[in-house]
Amino acid sequence: MNTYNIEIKVNDEWREAAVTATDTLLEVLRSKLDAVEVKNGCEQGDCGACTVILEGKPVNSCLVLAVQANGKEVTTVKGIGTQDSPHHLQTAFVEHGAIQCGYCTPGLIVSAKALLDENPDPTREEIREGICGNLCRCTGYTKIVEAIEDAASKK
Amino acid sequence: MENTEYLKPNDIKELLLIMTENKDRATVIAGGTNLVPEIRDGVKTPQVLVDVGDLQELVGIQLDRDSITIGAATTIAEIAKSSVIHEHFPILSKAAGELGNPLTRNRATIGGNLANASPCADTAPPLMALEAEIHITNAEGQVRTVAADKFFMDYKWTHLDKGDVMTRIAIPKPNVAAKGSHTKLGLRKAAAICVASVALMLEKEGDAVKRARIAFGSVAPKPIRAYRLEQYIEGKPVDEKLLSDCEPLLQEEISPIGDIRGSESYRRFATASIFNRNLLQAWA
Amino acid sequence: MLEKHKNFEKVRKVSKSGQAEKYHVIGKPRPRHDAWAKVSGQTVYAGDHKVPGMLYAKVLRSEYAAAKLLSIDTGEAEKIKGVATVMTAKDVPNNETVTRFGQTHSVGGFEGLYRVLADKKIRFKGEAVALVAAKTLAIAKAAIQKIKVEYEPLEGVFDPVEAMKANAYLVGEDESNVICSYKIRKGNVEKGFTQADVIVENTYRVQMVDHAYMEPEAGVAWKDDEGVITIRASTQVIEHFRGVAAVLGVPHNKIRVITPMLGGGFGGKEDITVETYLALLVQKTGKPVSLTFTREESILAHSKRHPYVMHYRTGATKDGKLVAMEAELISDAGGYVYLSPWVLLYSTVNAPGPYDITHVKVDTHTVLTNNTYTSANRGFGANQPCFAYESQLDELAKKLNISPLEIRQKNYLHTGDALASGRVLEHAVETEQTAIKALEALGEPTKPRKPSEKIGRGMASCMSSYGRMTFLHDTSRSFVSVELDGTVTVRCGVQDLGGGQASSLAQIAAEALGVPMEDVTVFHGDSALTPLAGTTTATRQLYMSGNATLKAAATVRRNLLEKAGRMLGMDPAYLDIKDRQVFIQPERKPWMVVENESRECTISYGGDRGDIIISEVCGNNDPDTVIPLTDVIKAAAADGIELLCVAQFNAPARELLDFKTGQGQVFPDFTFGTIAMEVAVDIETGDVDVLKIVTCFDVGQAINPLSVEGQMEGGAVYGLGYGLCEEVILDKGITLTPSLAEYLIPTSKDVPEVEAIMIQSGGGIGPFGAKGIGEPANVPPPPALANAVCDAIGKRIYDLPITPEKILKALNAI
Repeated sequence: MNTYNIEIKVNDEWREAAVTATDTLLEVLRSKLDAVEVKNGCEQGDCGACTVILEGKPVNSCLVLAVQANGKEVTTVKGIGTQDSPHHLQTAFVEHGAIQCGYCTPGLIVSAKALLDENPDPTREEIREGICGNLCRCTGYTKIVEAIEDAASKK
Repeated sequence: MENTEYLKPNDIKELLLIMTENKDRATVIAGGTNLVPEIRDGVKTPQVLVDVGDLQELVGIQLDRDSITIGAATTIAEIAKSSVIHEHFPILSKAAGELGNPLTRNRATIGGNLANASPCADTAPPLMALEAEIHITNAEGQVRTVAADKFFMDYKWTHLDKGDVMTRIAIPKPNVAAKGSHTKLGLRKAAAICVASVALMLEKEGDAVKRARIAFGSVAPKPIRAYRLEQYIEGKPVDEKLLSDCEPLLQEEISPIGDIRGSESYRRFATASIFNRNLLQAWA
Repeated sequence: MLEKHKNFEKVRKVSKSGQAEKYHVIGKPRPRHDAWAKVSGQTVYAGDHKVPGMLYAKVLRSEYAAAKLLSIDTGEAEKIKGVATVMTAKDVPNNETVTRFGQTHSVGGFEGLYRVLADKKIRFKGEAVALVAAKTLAIAKAAIQKIKVEYEPLEGVFDPVEAMKANAYLVGEDESNVICSYKIRKGNVEKGFTQADVIVENTYRVQMVDHAYMEPEAGVAWKDDEGVITIRASTQVIEHFRGVAAVLGVPHNKIRVITPMLGGGFGGKEDITVETYLALLVQKTGKPVSLTFTREESILAHSKRHPYVMHYRTGATKDGKLVAMEAELISDAGGYVYLSPWVLLYSTVNAPGPYDITHVKVDTHTVLTNNTYTSANRGFGANQPCFAYESQLDELAKKLNISPLEIRQKNYLHTGDALASGRVLEHAVETEQTAIKALEALGEPTKPRKPSEKIGRGMASCMSSYGRMTFLHDTSRSFVSVELDGTVTVRCGVQDLGGGQASSLAQIAAEALGVPMEDVTVFHGDSALTPLAGTTTATRQLYMSGNATLKAAATVRRNLLEKAGRMLGMDPAYLDIKDRQVFIQPERKPWMVVENESRECTISYGGDRGDIIISEVCGNNDPDTVIPLTDVIKAAAADGIELLCVAQFNAPARELLDFKTGQGQVFPDFTFGTIAMEVAVDIETGDVDVLKIVTCFDVGQAINPLSVEGQMEGGAVYGLGYGLCEEVILDKGITLTPSLAEYLIPTSKDVPEVEAIMIQSGGGIGPFGAKGIGEPANVPPPPALANAVCDAIGKRIYDLPITPEKILKALNAI
């Protein structure tokens, strides 16, 4: 079996892994790089639970081959903020009650951050458009949109 | 167990070399948004993956005097956000913005969307209505140009042969007077597989249609241009009478199927509705 | 008469409900205690857990929906390097067991066959046929491919109405596909219909839907040092350790089930999913095993919501009074029984809706077919009839030329009235208020934005129970203790699906013990280490584990205040605790008690105490005295006073209902609410835009308003999906919607902001007068949608989901 030694910068730290040509970035993040905060919801780009930032753009990591991420930078929710040093998006999500089961949350935070990086003052419609690739089954999206709007106002 | 090989050329020269060496075994990959799930499901078992996603020569939007060229590996997101595309080809801009969702758009490429050859390919109807030309290089380095409406042969079958690589899509700047219109119907407001779509470009002269280019998606085994419909409406004013007169012709042009997303009769009616709406809109 | 002291907070009004501030923490919006871990990616869900040396499991599933299972050859698969074991039905110690719905109370007749791996006959596509455990997932997948199964396809039956017929293909090993039937008989419907001035008769159909939680089924299991098989899985019911033990043929106390935070449940993780497979593989290999379903596997093979065919005939007088209702409901149970009888019972009681109807005749049946098996899904049988009865009401209103609100107002049940099944509604019934408020909040109608657009508004009210059926003698247990530093520990078996089930307990304990919520740690969901709280289903956790926690915490509180009373020389009834301080207040505060409990309650040890050793007494009569709670705790600990309590809350129990007449109490209480919607329908394409959604429910007392709103908003969208775009489409039992690309749930662009209005009547039987909200919140959207669409286009859609195609058909466009 062909294996490839790749290097990916995950949340500011260079990590190495040996992967096959068809391993996805999602699989490698979760199984070899201990980044289980990146979730598997469907493995075909329909749910957004696996969203990471790759070279500055939010993508479904289940659709990226690990080899394609070689030499590139990947940011997960842990690279955006922590409990001790949260991003204001995370604070807003907590304060607005925008988290229920929390499974969609890591991917959503990533998408929302990418949205605000590109459009710091989005309308509610633009927010809904920006996160429409992240499915949530629990919240109905209302508090998520409110949280993102609140976070945008705190820049 | 699979033993797929992965190769990533650094420039076009290397790419052609790889394609020559691996002509029958190579599968080109860029964004992988269709290919990666197919590999996972065992639908496709590529022997050699050739990654063109980062090739500088294949990425980018270039504004020339008479046309705009889009590199085949340009992402759909870039196309949707491009002010150049928005200004000159709003129907392509709109269709790109409605493909998948913001995440998939950051990876999906225009070349991939065409090569995947789905009858629902979101960029195909606008490209056909805009009379785009697709530039293809074969493994030997020979270049050929295929018009967008000739690119699709049949269901999931394109003009691409083994060893071929799409390099760019060239779109002639339309006449200033031309107006475009586009609608994609889906069962959900985002990330929906297209149920029926129409893209058209219309040029008016006085009180009549001077030139019409009309394309449909998801209502035939491949994206189609409706040549007879175009010929019929050329020279006529767009009004309620024209719409009702060309309805039977429209229904002859399309051949939708019934599937889980809808029956044939639903697709036929919906297509007629959006065609009428878009024609009126482009005429106004 | 003591004066007001500077320590006391001013009384403030809570904005939404207008209630005066009664509590310190209850009723306040608070971040959930699990929120920070979730938002920073720290929470370890079932599939995130790794155990060194763990094997990876895969399940081989049947290719056919109905077939004889002739042979399975696992030889080649077993030979693959890295494969630890391959198991089929013959390797399972007890492949067939009978599941009874009651946890501790057996209710004979309500049982279903639980078959672990397919044997002899396949009953639905996706039925598990074999298990593989291997060193890597890739090897396990390869091994699955190498298992050779011989099937003989059989005819099968895929329509429950067909399956009821005498010579229908038999799905199981019984003589009939009909699992059970119920009925309600109240009065005389034939007579009733003669009194009706208008009669409306229709057949409604609702489709099969999936829970589509974002986290597919997952778990990791291992054997611990004492030989206990520990299963850490995403499950709503840790009590399944009993079922797993029965399959493995081991004692109950040798199986331990832990549930981490679930990535959603909605009833889909109420039945056993991965637990038995994991336990079997651990038992066989001795090694830890991990199993995660793919999304396709989840859609293919876990339980679904029952499709129903409902025939309703409703009659009213010209004044709008409902006089007669006749309904027949037939539900598709799919390949196995699971919870179908229970869901059907819920539907039976719910069939007439929250209305006073003079004569009622209801007949319900649930029938086996070779479709995917159906079981619990948020609402548990309340949803389907609601679509029917709320549509019927609007049709009657139209014929009578009165408004939808008016006809409902003429018929809503109120506190003290009885359901058709005889149950008197003893607790708060605020349906009318919810309807008035929901409609009011819709505001001014939106104007059509284009010529082809029609605007419509619709409403639907519902009743939906919370708490388990009372003949099941439901119980729940919780442990509360204070640490010496004043922090609080709660241990409770409660399973947290994401609805804040664990966090609510923290809030309740914080209220009872006068500490901030951050001071409470909740250990939850461990069948070995936390007192069993019962299933997280039936919208019962707040009511049950909430009450158990309140009971336990109240006991500890009482012990502390009695000690504090001696320290201050005060009657403890004048003491309160807030912000970690014990202080004196001007009025006697009643002891916190749990109400509406069964008379035969059992309080475990740690509760009411024996001798109190009198230690220091302050004797200080200064009303401004404040003692830190930790001082009281330390003094009490020194006295040997128990600072912990494990309490069991017993829901009031009743007898089984009378199956001949359908009369009986059945449910402890109901939550009532209304959803109102405004939609825009494009009559040229059939597309529906939902413009506004307002949801209004009487929640009794919101423990955490943020959580309650979240449930209401989320429930509205979950229900909207059912009404608008979701369908598991089966063709002769074969799934045509295998992934989330075909099975469409609402995205952020498909729904508007949901406005949630809470009424807090205080009239629930949960802690502090709370009612449950989790399931009720999702019941009204489909009929509200159907009514809004009908208002827009003048035509009604009688089957879900309401697709553009159905709208065009109704308009005779196609």
